[in-house]
Amino acid sequence: MSDIELAILSFFVLIGMIFIRVPIGLAMLLCGLTGTWIVTDSYRVVLGQMKVIPFDTFSSYSLTIVPLFLLMGQFATRGGMSKALFKAAESFLGHRKGGIAMAAIGACAGFGAICGSSLATAATMANVALPEMRRAGYSNSLATGCLAAGGTLGILIPPSVVLVIYAILAEQNIVKMFAAALIPGILAAIGYMITVAIYVRLNPESATSLKRQPWSARMKALFEVWPVMLIFSLVIGGIYMGWFTPTEGAAVGAMGTGLLAYAQGGLGWKELRECIFGTAAATGMIFFIILGASVYNTFLALTQLPQDTATMVGNMGVDPWLVLIMILACYLVFGCIMDSLSMILLTIPIFFPVVMGLDFGMSSEETAIWFGILVLIVVEVGLITPPVGMNIFIINNLAKTVSMRESYRGVIPFVISDLVRVVILTAFPFVTLFLVRALDGKYDNLLLQMFN
Amino acid sequence: MDTMDNGGGRGLAPRVEYKVGCMVTQISEYIALAGGLVLVFLMLLTTISVTGRGFIGIIPGAGPVPGDFEIVEAGCAFAVFIFLPWAQLKREHVSVDIAVSWMSPRGIAVLSLISNILLTAVAALIAWQLYKGAGGKFRYNETTQILQFPVWWAYAASLIGAVWFVVVSAYTVWRSVNEVCGDGEGTR
Repeated sequence: MSDIELAILSFFVLIGMIFIRVPIGLAMLLCGLTGTWIVTDSYRVVLGQMKVIPFDTFSSYSLTIVPLFLLMGQFATRGGMSKALFKAAESFLGHRKGGIAMAAIGACAGFGAICGSSLATAATMANVALPEMRRAGYSNSLATGCLAAGGTLGILIPPSVVLVIYAILAEQNIVKMFAAALIPGILAAIGYMITVAIYVRLNPESATSLKRQPWSARMKALFEVWPVMLIFSLVIGGIYMGWFTPTEGAAVGAMGTGLLAYAQGGLGWKELRECIFGTAAATGMIFFIILGASVYNTFLALTQLPQDTATMVGNMGVDPWLVLIMILACYLVFGCIMDSLSMILLTIPIFFPVVMGLDFGMSSEETAIWFGILVLIVVEVGLITPPVGMNIFIINNLAKTVSMRESYRGVIPFVISDLVRVVILTAFPFVTLFLVRALDGKYDNLLLQMFN
Repeated sequence: MDTMDNGGGRGLAPRVEYKVGCMVTQISEYIALAGGLVLVFLMLLTTISVTGRGFIGIIPGAGPVPGDFEIVEAGCAFAVFIFLPWAQLKREHVSVDIAVSWMSPRGIAVLSLISNILLTAVAALIAWQLYKGAGGKFRYNETTQILQFPVWWAYAASLIGAVWFVVVSAYTVWRSVNEVCGDGEGTR
């Protein structure tokens, strides 16, 4: 059996193991170790790998950003900011029909700016917004649907753990990835709000509206969220401006949200313990998958499968856009059953060289960044599609009286909104790349001309 | 694990397993907290370092903490190794349930048993090789670039988590055996 055949076989074994409920990290680790053993015909290589890979992975400076962002997210859920964000958004949008749902989405976007996790965003905002929508007589479908969808903004809007992992796998600059994610993230929030507006027009009985708030009250509510704005601008601004590395930014952000939570009285010893346990569980889970993926990817690299696939696809002469669409479709299908991080760790080593071997009329760095954002969005759709939509599970668990069926129905319009956005961002790469190019100083001359 | 009885007390010494489980959970909590506090310390250290760097030339004597990233790397390795067993104990490792959703809780418990046995083997392999790695770093007296502290310290600290990962995984095998004999996974 050739190495390539072995690699392909290992892929089927891996999928088989995952389907019989072997933890994904463990499955990748075992397939990687066994494969390496067969390819090199030496168990010493395998032992040597286990001597180096675990410690090197866990002590890698670029990965230290992950536990720090997770800790920041844990603090954020205790900072009491979810309520203030929701109130601020509601004062601006509440008077519209379906306005509370729009406000919940806006608040999710704001919360996503200090929290890099979708599940945490969905759960935290649901605690605040669900009772409010109930009281105002919103339909169950709309209430749970908008929160499940809004939760995905946690990962689209930087800081984002999944984006960090992509940046490391694809060897891209994290700062530029964060810059690229910003506009698509805001577009997502606006898209969801438009979806709510259309939905309530088609189903007038599903929502109500509140009294219009005067501007003084709006400004007052907006002022309440200054800590969130400060932390976000400090962390993301500081990283963009080069004041500190992304890891340092994460540490500063965790510090800021921690202080905020403490000041709000939400962070005593008991809460700190819970934050640590939450961070520990998520970190352990994520790093185990990362470990499995690095072992498996080392094996794949030995077999030359990624390079050969890229060459083969490149030589087939298929339209690059068709290849891209097929890859994105793949993610949409896989996303129905797998979590976003595992999916990215499993597939990027194969798909990334393929995409980089194709010509989209951009520099390779721009292609890499743009592809990363597209992947991020399509894998996030998986969080709200049946049968395994983690965000829906979480919201449904909190909204005890709502049936799973109603939640799934409620989420459909938002999935459509996601798909529309994927099409737009695929067709017009400059939307994603605008901020990256601006950061690189590509528009400096243009600005000078405008002001002269 | 709220019943002492474990569905009529079937399995491999379920009462003992329950008591051991409580003990394992207790110890895991302590060391997870230790890992978490190290993480909080790294956060403080980095913030101080960044602030210090920001005030260079403004306040005399201000500057970054020298070699801060070496401490961050070593501390992170320590914390992550400690967080692995915590995730295992709390059943946090991600798996795909959809293809086996038709199975009974006991059937699922059988699958978990297989996974946990494999995981224990892998955990043992990791701990063993980490131990050998630490030995190597110790013999060659390798030190970090800036702070010049011996690299084997970080390995030795990480070994705590790696060894505990083996213990916890072995315990989860036991737990799975009793879940297979009892009413299956997630029923107690």
